[in-house]
Amino acid sequence: MGNVNVNIDGKKLRVREGVTILEAAEANGIKIPTLCHIKDQVPTGICRVCVVELERSRTLVGSCHTPVSEGMVIHTHSPKVTAVRRVIVELMLTAHTGDCVNDTNAENCVLHNLASDYEVGAPRFNVKVPRFYPAEDSNPYVRRNLSKCILCRKCVRVCASIPGKNILSVGYRGFRSKIVAGFDEALLSEKCRDCGKCIEHCPTGALSAPVKV
Amino acid sequence: MTKETSSITSGRAELLPALKRELKKNGCLTREIMDTVAGRSGLPLNEIYGVATFYAYLPLAPLGQYVIKVCRCLPCDMKDAQAVIGGIKQELGIAPGETTADGKFSLELVNCIGACDQAPAMLINAKLYGNLTPQRIVEILKSY
Repeated sequence: MGNVNVNIDGKKLRVREGVTILEAAEANGIKIPTLCHIKDQVPTGICRVCVVELERSRTLVGSCHTPVSEGMVIHTHSPKVTAVRRVIVELMLTAHTGDCVNDTNAENCVLHNLASDYEVGAPRFNVKVPRFYPAEDSNPYVRRNLSKCILCRKCVRVCASIPGKNILSVGYRGFRSKIVAGFDEALLSEKCRDCGKCIEHCPTGALSAPVKV
Repeated sequence: MTKETSSITSGRAELLPALKRELKKNGCLTREIMDTVAGRSGLPLNEIYGVATFYAYLPLAPLGQYVIKVCRCLPCDMKDAQAVIGGIKQELGIAPGETTADGKFSLELVNCIGACDQAPAMLINAKLYGNLTPQRIVEILKSY
């Protein structure tokens, strides 16, 4: 495949045809935030945080799943993009029963940091039933606190990429959607070992290494 | 594609028909049934559970003789489906997800049933009832 000319944030770039806008930007030192993207895996475009403005496109496009093409003019941090990203993060915070103030790991939470960078503040939307799940400590390798989960599905995808694993899925529907293991039960240590891949990829504090006391 | 992923892909394509067959045979999808399907299809139990819980039409527990499915999507909600649900609750004494003690009625909340023009709407088994009011609910339920 050949190369194409694109313009990202005023930088004239020549990039390989077939790469995504996100990859082209990253390779040229332009950072676009994302919560659901896994490098070298098929993009899903679930979290929408990576949206960018593409000239002559009716809508913003997800940069993680849009391939570059000749002549594209892209703005990754225009006022329109920033405003939209702010609402996307705000919506995620709304459905997120995390207690960041008391969370010693909050600095590792990508969502928390995005909310801070984009000055999102307290979400203005009311929730009928808060999404609350008790934290689960039963597994010696992974602590699950699904109240903090934003359903980015990265854990599902990395687990599925490990031969013989694939022990996580999304269960239920709509507001009740939840990451489930087995028959929606505690993560069993016979099935889940200490690979730690899901913890590594989790953008929030939903999955963490248990604190050894 | 590796052997493992290709068998998972074909297992996925066959999953809904397989679950529908099991449902017809057993009336609901229990853990044992899902384990059997998992063994046959090569899919993990979590994935089958995920699909089964996504669809309101794939019950995990036995249901009553008449299954009332009240639409909980936006148009019905705006036309006060809550009052309809309240009416059924009062008439039958069961909450969504429950079955009457005599096993006659089950109450379920489902996503759009395609009757937005007659909101609020519900199904009793395969029969559609639209433009519902709490008063009409009483009449309809009495006819069963």
